[in-house]
Amino acid sequence: MKSIKRTQRIISLVILFFVLGMAVLVFKLIHESSFYMMNSDKHELGFVYDRKGDVLFDGTGKDSYPDNYFLDVGNIIGDDKGQMENTLVAQNIEKLNNYSFSNGLIQNGGQASICTTLDHASNRAVFNAYGYQEGCVSAYNYKTGEILVCTSLPSLDVTKGYDNIANFKPGTLMSKNLYKTVPGSTQKVSTVISALEIMGTSQLFSKSFTCTGKYTNRTGNDIDCHNPYGHGTQNIQEAFENSCNPFFAQLIEDEDLPLDRLKKQYEKMGYAINGAKPEYIDINGIQCETASTTLEDPYQFKTQWGCIGQGDTIVSPIQLMMWQSAIANESGRMTMPYLIDHVTDLKGNVKEKAKTRYSDKLFSESTASSTKQIMLTNGSDRYAYSISGYRVGVKSGTAQVDEGMKENSLLVGFVDDPSFPIAFCILIEDKDSGYLTTEQVAQVLLDNLKNNY
Amino acid sequence: MYANPIAYFFSSIFVLIAHIAMLVNIYFNGNYTNVRSVAVLGAAVIILDIAYLVGIIFFKQASYILDFLLILIIGMSVIFQSCFGEVGFDVKHYITCIVCLVASKASYLLCRNHKYLQDKKKYIYAAIGIVVLITLVFTSAENMWIEIGSFTIQPSEFLKPLFVLACATSIADQQKKHKVLFFNVVYENIALFGIMAIICLVQVKSHDYGSLPTFLSIYAAGFLLRICYPKAKFSKKKLFAVIAVIVIFLLIGLKYAPEYVQHRLHVDIWSDKTGDGYQQSQALIGIANGGWFGVGPGKGFLANVFAYDNDIVFATVSEEWGLLYALMMVFTIVVITAVPLINPARSYFHGTMSACVSAAFLVQMALNIWGSCNLIPFTGVTVPFISTGGSSLMVSGFMIGMLLAAQSPVFKEQKNKKQEAPVPAWRWNE
Amino acid sequence: MNSLNLILCAVSAAALDICIFVLIITAYREKKSSKKNWHEVSHDMELAEQGKIYELGCDEVLIGRHASADVRLPDLSVSRYHAMMTVSDGVWTIKDIGSKSGLFVNGELIREKVLSENDIIKLGNRRLIFRKRSDKRVR
Repeated sequence: MKSIKRTQRIISLVILFFVLGMAVLVFKLIHESSFYMMNSDKHELGFVYDRKGDVLFDGTGKDSYPDNYFLDVGNIIGDDKGQMENTLVAQNIEKLNNYSFSNGLIQNGGQASICTTLDHASNRAVFNAYGYQEGCVSAYNYKTGEILVCTSLPSLDVTKGYDNIANFKPGTLMSKNLYKTVPGSTQKVSTVISALEIMGTSQLFSKSFTCTGKYTNRTGNDIDCHNPYGHGTQNIQEAFENSCNPFFAQLIEDEDLPLDRLKKQYEKMGYAINGAKPEYIDINGIQCETASTTLEDPYQFKTQWGCIGQGDTIVSPIQLMMWQSAIANESGRMTMPYLIDHVTDLKGNVKEKAKTRYSDKLFSESTASSTKQIMLTNGSDRYAYSISGYRVGVKSGTAQVDEGMKENSLLVGFVDDPSFPIAFCILIEDKDSGYLTTEQVAQVLLDNLKNNY
Repeated sequence: MYANPIAYFFSSIFVLIAHIAMLVNIYFNGNYTNVRSVAVLGAAVIILDIAYLVGIIFFKQASYILDFLLILIIGMSVIFQSCFGEVGFDVKHYITCIVCLVASKASYLLCRNHKYLQDKKKYIYAAIGIVVLITLVFTSAENMWIEIGSFTIQPSEFLKPLFVLACATSIADQQKKHKVLFFNVVYENIALFGIMAIICLVQVKSHDYGSLPTFLSIYAAGFLLRICYPKAKFSKKKLFAVIAVIVIFLLIGLKYAPEYVQHRLHVDIWSDKTGDGYQQSQALIGIANGGWFGVGPGKGFLANVFAYDNDIVFATVSEEWGLLYALMMVFTIVVITAVPLINPARSYFHGTMSACVSAAFLVQMALNIWGSCNLIPFTGVTVPFISTGGSSLMVSGFMIGMLLAAQSPVFKEQKNKKQEAPVPAWRWNE
Repeated sequence: MNSLNLILCAVSAAALDICIFVLIITAYREKKSSKKNWHEVSHDMELAEQGKIYELGCDEVLIGRHASADVRLPDLSVSRYHAMMTVSDGVWTIKDIGSKSGLFVNGELIREKVLSENDIIKLGNRRLIFRKRSDKRVR
């Protein structure tokens, strides 16, 4: 009699196990049902809007738009055709589907949409400013993390399809903001941050090195300066403004800047050093590459060039921009960027409202404010006329690519204005092919953002 | 003799109402060209219900609850199977369902006397041997069915009820321990382990990996109940030992599984939507398409997918009738296995049998449903009662007969008891 | 799918739900009636000792000293699992399951025996009588 209870215990155990499994299954089914639906042939996609409600992507394909209306955001917003994987629509297509488990697939009048943080008008203005030249621009609100501008040239109009894909220029199908490029002298911002973090402000400012136009380092390699006559003896502020390579080479060799601490600081900032496995920055499912560099020996040419911004160092423009937020906020924490402000479901209810997130601490507050001061001084000394109307902290850079055949022009910076907190990164590829300068683009960018903000 | 004719009557009425509600749903929502097909289906289901409900009165059971549940799920099964793709009466499934009902009654009669089978162990072992031989001789890895006319039989299915019987019989022999070397050994347990090993090997040879967990669960339940006998509580040591052995077996099995099994374990169905992942991905899409209330009987797309009526039957039902209904179908089967909890068996033999049967049903269902929904690797086992397949339904009927026997064991004194002849005081011849 | 069809789906689901619910209630009712039947099966027998009555509520009744035995005789002369009583077709059988002190029915050492009314069963120092149930009220 008593022993028969045991048989019941086994049955209840098995039933419990089964019911638990079924509960997991049902939860999974309901949770993932829109993903399943996206894999079927039945789609009823909604719209992607910019921050003002302007259409950036039309999933229904029913309405007509002016020619090249989506050209400026073509390779970041993407489409559902499967040609571009690392785009907003491709990564978030489930959110766009007019389907929910309880309502089924809505054929007409579904209101599923993604409202992005982008500003279409500014994007377009910046895009047009490039003319026939190529490059990319990203800008975001460093207080909240909203990406306002993210454009990349060349681009494509997704409404025209891919019939002509063989004639697309290289780089059309990807947003260059997300992929690594040589940072040039904009890398010196990272080096200054590291030096400040390791030495402290007063010690770094007390250092001065002499530039004669060329510096032969201890292993016998030459570090050339862009000014062949040399900059003379300078401190860190002057060297930063002059973007003086020999100064920075000597700074790396300095005994007060030990390489292992430099490496640690670089790693903290997100560099993959000496072939370490790189990570990705996730922006609403879009993968953005992170920086990598080589730091082996402080007296070697390769390492010194790495800290100056040539050679093995490569960084994505988005990450350059994110470091600016850590400086501009004077917190040492990056504001994590995002593209999706909110999502509406098929009944028009707002969900998944974006929240501002910050990274771990990359460097101390005092380092951040010292760097901010250096950059602001650079901005007021050198860029007050070329970028007028804004109090900017900037660093320019010239990157040699294709083994020195071409030079890319970069400009990273931020606007020091609590009511207009913009950090940006501008890249012009092959700058000698035209007359466009990064300062002109910055002026267009900031003017448009100011007008539309 | 039934103690509660009112309860009997009401239960019958509610079973009929459940089926009629389904038929009405088909009439209004279903996908059919001719109303006649709905009428034929309805008539067939209702006639089967009434015939069965009247028929079981003659069995004079102590408990009829499993019969009600059985006819409820069988009627649902007929309706589901007839509606897939388009509403049309599925005669073949109807016949196998009747076979299932008959099998349940046959096994009930066989098992209801717990003393009767105890000393028939030899026959059970012999039957297992024959089935194993048939499986080895007549089937191969490519084809595990034997075709007889238009019906196909999967002999390995029949091992399940026989194995349950082998696990449950002569548990009292647990007390007969024999000393071999330094161990107290019970011959029965060794014999069972041997049978288990042989069945596993046969399954592996015929590449029927899906049934392995079912047999393992029967064995685990049966063996655990045997070795703990007659104590009332589980011996914790033994419990852990059994779990450890099973885990070790699983790990070894996974490590040395053949190539294509490994492949099955790691296939990503969404990256291989048109190849290996086709059935599962379509099943999941079907469930998503059906939502809570389904697209309507006969309107589903999954009826075009291979094995829609057995391997991914949960998804097919879910698409046409809705996830809610599919879950309730599953719940009905869970209630069937839970009946021994409400009304416990009266003997250890019947208790062991119901535990083994419940474990087999639930594990089979879990493998099928979770497998088709990509929670665990996909295997080709069937959902008891719902999936098509003659052998599967017949065996399910057989196993539910065992539960029935546990619910209403022999209670009536046999009238034809031999009366001892009075010893004559004197003899004529002397 | 319009709302009428949705309602029909819900109705048929509800009908199934109610049906299962009713059947579960039936199962509980049957539990009572099968208990009643049980007393007929067991011929209303019971085991009695001086001042103590043991009900036989099951097909298999385990007698022994161990706490998990159905009929527990806390006496060192009784083995932990001493004897097993089984019933089939209203006939009770007692069986020795490996006891140390043996099993005696009506003073006779046996391994297995069919019991009849008013048999005296002796396990170790304990004596039990197998008899018709005296208290008929319990139903």
